[in-house]
Amino acid sequence: MAEAFEITDEMRSQIGIDSEPWIYEVTTTSVRMYARGIGSEDPIHYDVDFAKSQGFRSIVAPMGYIGTPVYLPGSNDATFGFPRRGGGPRLNIPFRGLLDGGTETEYLDYICAGDVLEETSHLADLKLRDSGRQMLFVTNESVYKNKETGKVVVKQRLTSIHM
Amino acid sequence: MTQAPNSVVTDEMRAMVGVEGPPMTLEVEKTNCRMFARSVGHKDPIYYDEAAAKARGYRSIVAPPGFMGTPIFNPTAPPQGPAGGGRGYSIPYKRVLNGGTDYEYFPENGTICAGDTITARGKISGFEETEGSLGPMLITTRETTYTNQDGKVVAKMYGTTIQY
Amino acid sequence: MADQVHYEDVKEGDEIPELKKNCSTQQLVLWAAGSGDFYQIHYDKDFAQRTGLKGLIVHGALKNAFLGQLLHDWIGEQGELRRFGCSYRGMDVPDQDILCRGVVTKKYAKDGKNYVELDIWTENPEGKKTSPGTAIVTLPSRN
Repeated sequence: MAEAFEITDEMRSQIGIDSEPWIYEVTTTSVRMYARGIGSEDPIHYDVDFAKSQGFRSIVAPMGYIGTPVYLPGSNDATFGFPRRGGGPRLNIPFRGLLDGGTETEYLDYICAGDVLEETSHLADLKLRDSGRQMLFVTNESVYKNKETGKVVVKQRLTSIHM
Repeated sequence: MTQAPNSVVTDEMRAMVGVEGPPMTLEVEKTNCRMFARSVGHKDPIYYDEAAAKARGYRSIVAPPGFMGTPIFNPTAPPQGPAGGGRGYSIPYKRVLNGGTDYEYFPENGTICAGDTITARGKISGFEETEGSLGPMLITTRETTYTNQDGKVVAKMYGTTIQY
Repeated sequence: MADQVHYEDVKEGDEIPELKKNCSTQQLVLWAAGSGDFYQIHYDKDFAQRTGLKGLIVHGALKNAFLGQLLHDWIGEQGELRRFGCSYRGMDVPDQDILCRGVVTKKYAKDGKNYVELDIWTENPEGKKTSPGTAIVTLPSRN
């Protein structure tokens, strides 16, 4: 890169502004697929009758699975699936490399198949590090509410590293 | 029909023709309809957007062509797919090819939509033996019938497997 | 969506609008997730080569589903897809065009419906039909 990247005041001004909400769905097949993805064999993630016998509404979403964003062609990122909705931050990041910098998830309730979640997110933090190569740490915070009860079920902080 | 001297079709296999295998349950949901449609590259909103599907007269998001739902996965049970009778016989041919698949729909009995639970029942329709460029081959045709939660047959699949 | 095609608009020998596909390896992984078929010859090059293939190949069932899209997009909101399928005669590889095409072979009215039969296929850049098949659809009438 010809010039060093700098975090501008304009970029910082986008911190804290909430995006428009987006629907995330939790279905029996999506819960099972995620459970397969992490290699779990716990019947609580697969067998509806078993989960009900344990007092749950349906099979339980494995830790880390907070539903699948409704995918509408043109409205979602074709690679990552996340919604390209209005209201959220629009950062013009010049770096081509992208790494997952970490995830912190706070559960206020469990999630089951059949749940419909409404998620809003905002830019929470921007940090720039330079140790020979510039790295931009972008942290987003999301809040997931159960659409039916209005109760917040999950808060999540995600950091992506652009370099 | 007399058995050719080098036929690999045994009486046991012949007895399996037309015998239905155990039923398999498939779930059709909004997330898996969308994922299927996305992976094919469909553009029609009836495969993604429930409101758009309802506006076109469907109960919910429509299952795209070729999508009959996702089998209920159970990691601790023996594999149940593919739905089809006549598993459990062996023939001397080592190589296998998927010869082709045909789907037949019966929209007058209902269009498969998110929220449906489909029961698939499979059977072998026949064995055929030929001599091809790859040597002797066994062509097995299978038929799978898909019934929805109202007991209506909504689709059938005809599949061909080639072993040689 | 294109304008609605009607039964009266088509005649034997007509070719329907083609659908061009070109599968990235990413699309093959998407299809694995969409279909539930995780056979490694479609996303793990080393695995594919160990089975004797030159490299990754496109799922036959994905080409079948492409033909489903070809038909769905052609028949419009008022048409019905009654039957479609293909056999898998040739392999297709990622990052190479797959042309989905169809030609009307027959049209007839039966039990108050207007049926159209087609030959459908996918074609590779050399013009070889890698997945030939047939389809039956119904179309609305202008009358």
